[in-house]
Amino acid sequence: MIRSEFRKLGSVRSPWLLLAAGPLIVVAGITGLIQSGGNVHDPAVQSRALAHVGLAALFTLLFGIMAVAGEYRHGTITDTFLSSPARGRVIAAKLASYGLVGAAAGLVSSVVAIGVTAAWWAAEGGSFHPGAGGTWLTLGGGLAANVAFAVIGVGVGALIRNLVAAVAAALAWIALVEGIAGQIAGPGPARWLPFYASEALGRTNLSAAGHLLPQWAGGLVLAGYAAAFAAAAVVTTLRRDVT
Amino acid sequence: MTDVEVRDLTKTFGRVTAVDGMSFTVPAGKITGFLGPNGAGKTTTLRMALGLVRPSAGEALIGGVPYHRLARPRRSVGALLEATGFHPGRRARDHLRVLTAAGGLPGHRVDEVLGQVGLASSAGRRVREFSLGMRQRLGLAAALLGDPPVLLLDEPANGLDPAGIAWLRGLLRGLADEGRTVLVASHVLSEVAQTADHVVIVNEGRLRFAGPLRELGETSGALESAFLNLTAVSR
Repeated sequence: MIRSEFRKLGSVRSPWLLLAAGPLIVVAGITGLIQSGGNVHDPAVQSRALAHVGLAALFTLLFGIMAVAGEYRHGTITDTFLSSPARGRVIAAKLASYGLVGAAAGLVSSVVAIGVTAAWWAAEGGSFHPGAGGTWLTLGGGLAANVAFAVIGVGVGALIRNLVAAVAAALAWIALVEGIAGQIAGPGPARWLPFYASEALGRTNLSAAGHLLPQWAGGLVLAGYAAAFAAAAVVTTLRRDVT
Repeated sequence: MTDVEVRDLTKTFGRVTAVDGMSFTVPAGKITGFLGPNGAGKTTTLRMALGLVRPSAGEALIGGVPYHRLARPRRSVGALLEATGFHPGRRARDHLRVLTAAGGLPGHRVDEVLGQVGLASSAGRRVREFSLGMRQRLGLAAALLGDPPVLLLDEPANGLDPAGIAWLRGLLRGLADEGRTVLVASHVLSEVAQTADHVVIVNEGRLRFAGPLRELGETSGALESAFLNLTAVSR
């Protein structure tokens, strides 16, 4: 069943274009950091550059959404369930294969991030130290965020089977809802929300850094969201009619 | 010999009863026409038989077993539901390769069924370039992939040109003569009158008739007048 999922992925172009956007964001983000005056002699700036890997998780989220909602959009879900009437196993296969691709995407983004950061540091006369400033923790957290958001995406796509609505809901949540909720509820409760948790995990520190959870706690919270979305995907998919 | 048996099948969507206590048997070795006006519950019945829609009551059995209990469903039942179930960017051969992987079927079946439905020369083209008739043929190829003893086809003649319809008639007859169970849902009476041995007529979710076509009369207009009588709205 996992092989069938990979054949689905391998035979169309759109998911790969989407995944390619992740490393491009990493390149653009790191370049922007340097162009806006980032100090290459500061180890903290090095970590901030590498933290763009966590931002690339936006694309594994959209990729995961396409895994399920895209099948409903094109009507291929009918054939998928005719082949495998055990729908729980279908969703499990999607979670596994898309989680794996999310990990691969995170790895590519990490390699790209190291390469681009090293290149800028060399160009600006700094010295890039792979071990300094928690580099590995930043990259590992970013990679984990890519996996978690691919899984969350599969869940969102199963819950909101309309592809356009699912993508819109996910983008609106990230761009608007968490920010507004954070202002209403204050930073204490807001740091438990999924995107804030992923910032802690990927050490992105876009928001006021002091209000985020510690990295390990962000990772646990995000893993909890991923598990909850995975479970919700299975439960709703078992229950709903496919018309 | 694998019969399809529908027993007291009922489906309600909210307050609408789409299928209301339907029971009939689809015999093996024959072409059975499944007839009814639009909205009569044909598609919902097929989707329940295929495990896609959960019945509110009753059951549909394929060789005595509900679809979701079949060990290898694609080897037992081939289904054609609608011509839209394709990713437009996927090539015809890749569409079928996805299904062989999911259904545990041998890869050589892909080219065999593409040849059987007359798409061998278009196997490498993306589905978005296909006409409606070609999509219909690709859907039939998917139904035939597992060489199943049972075929459940919803409006299989949709989008086919006259030559294609004649070809389909020959294909279905050949499949039934091999002893397979062939159910064809349609609202094109003339087509069914030429093809079917057996008919099931439904209206407003209820069974109106199930039996050999000849029981409805031998003349060419017999099916139409019987159909119109059986499905006349009771007001």
